[in-house]
Amino acid sequence: MKSWLRQHRYAFGTTLRRLALQPFSTLTNIAVIALTLTVPLVGAALLTSLQPVTQQFSPQPQITLFLTPGLAAADGRATLARVQAEAESELLEVAWVPRDQAYARLRNQPAWQDALGALPDNPLPDAIIVTLQGGDAATQAPELAQRWQQWPGVDQVQLDREWIQRLQSLIQFAQLGLLLLAIGVAVIVLATVFNTVRMQALAQRDEITVARLVGATESFVRRPFLYQGALTAGIAALLSLLIAAIAVVFLNDALRGLAQSYGSDFLLRLPSWPLLIGFLVVVSGLGAFSARWSVTRNTRF
Amino acid sequence: MFFCPKADRSGGANTGTFLYDAALSYHRPTMIEFRHVFKSYGRGLNALSDVNFDVAAGELLFIAGPSGAGKSTLLKLIAGLIEPSRGKIKVNGHELSRLPARARPYLRRAVGVILQDVHLLNDRSAFDNVVLPLIVTGHDTATAHARARAAIDKVGLSSKSKLRPVELSGGDQQRLAIARAIVNRPALLIADEPTANLDDASAQRIIDVFLDFHHVGVTTLIATHDRDLITRHGKRVLYVDHGRVSSHVLPSKKQPQEPQP
Repeated sequence: MKSWLRQHRYAFGTTLRRLALQPFSTLTNIAVIALTLTVPLVGAALLTSLQPVTQQFSPQPQITLFLTPGLAAADGRATLARVQAEAESELLEVAWVPRDQAYARLRNQPAWQDALGALPDNPLPDAIIVTLQGGDAATQAPELAQRWQQWPGVDQVQLDREWIQRLQSLIQFAQLGLLLLAIGVAVIVLATVFNTVRMQALAQRDEITVARLVGATESFVRRPFLYQGALTAGIAALLSLLIAAIAVVFLNDALRGLAQSYGSDFLLRLPSWPLLIGFLVVVSGLGAFSARWSVTRNTRF
Repeated sequence: MFFCPKADRSGGANTGTFLYDAALSYHRPTMIEFRHVFKSYGRGLNALSDVNFDVAAGELLFIAGPSGAGKSTLLKLIAGLIEPSRGKIKVNGHELSRLPARARPYLRRAVGVILQDVHLLNDRSAFDNVVLPLIVTGHDTATAHARARAAIDKVGLSSKSKLRPVELSGGDQQRLAIARAIVNRPALLIADEPTANLDDASAQRIIDVFLDFHHVGVTTLIATHDRDLITRHGKRVLYVDHGRVSSHVLPSKKQPQEPQP
């Protein structure tokens, strides 16, 4: 065991010595990999931050019926009862939102305060918010919205799920894009480490020959290169985390004002710590894998 | 004591495999067996043809012959650095062609090799060059350093141990390669023209190192075309010419003898 540890310590020391002997090349490689890794990391931060936004909205379709302004409360209640009667099997929930309640809610949002303040009185109508069940019922939402639009006392019908569906589709598209980007970045990491180790193996040709001459196993020969690959990729991954964290701080400074103008506290945040640690491990593993592949191919002499 | 291969083999070495232990055993009467060995490089270039010979354990053997005769090829085959095209080679009872690739390094640790091209690492000191085989075998630092110092002292390079190989003369580089070859206390020592391009005094000092090892039971093979060197020591000679081992000659010490074709 001690002998095994000594050999690993020697391999690690050899790796550090080789990296230190070519500081410019080492730093350039680390910087290239780090900057490449930063792109999907910031993308992941964006998706991570958007996820709660979509989750806070109901996945079931919602239809809002805006009643004709000035409609008597009794007529409004009658419309509510008619909705409940006609679409009972598709309904999940029906809510009556009086115009005063809607007005009060809107006034609490900073973005609307000034606009509402400029108006002489409450311009909002009474509304009925209908939440449909998922599945087959959800597919009938457009048809229901169109039918209810024809009812007397109904001024406007809005199918509220469309925009959230679009957002979810957009996020799914972005996730796919991020996955493809991550694969591309993984290939870049593999190629960069592969080439670095190839150059190093050629530069260390004499050392490898001598080590084999005096009885070194192939594991002994490969070990410093594996450390080199893992260390280069691992340090690059750490650096990319740092860059991404700094970028998120700056982006949030710019985003905060925009989000507040919409009454939102939306901010970018990096993925959770377990995911980030997983990211470091995976990138280091990729580096070691690439190094092993390279050193196996390039030390057949 | 240090240079006696029968003494103190523990030393913290990573000798976990049976192969390495087997390679270090000295009870076998035959250290090397060649049976109908052929070696060719590319088409039609036969370096060795139908070579047959035995080397007893503990024997000192000279391999003589003109340049290009196949001496280096013979030594590389024994060290397992190259493979024969045909035939069987046994070293310390192990048939090399049947030895799995992963086991070869362990056998190689029991063979000290000094090639014509000394293969020294110029980016590290003489001491670090010598200590490398001990790091490879997993010795602890104290043992490795003590052994490396003793090996360097044995070849007379103590005062130059901090220099890099490029800062040493050709003779000193040769001695350094010998120190590296003996530091792991090999059971078999192979040297290819170890005294080439050296003055008489330096050559004698190097030969004395090999003789010391031979006297404590290490099988020693020295390839040389120095006839004086061969006749001076009166040992068995394997004469190689045009890839064939044409004769075994035992020259007299007093009256040097021409190898018989």
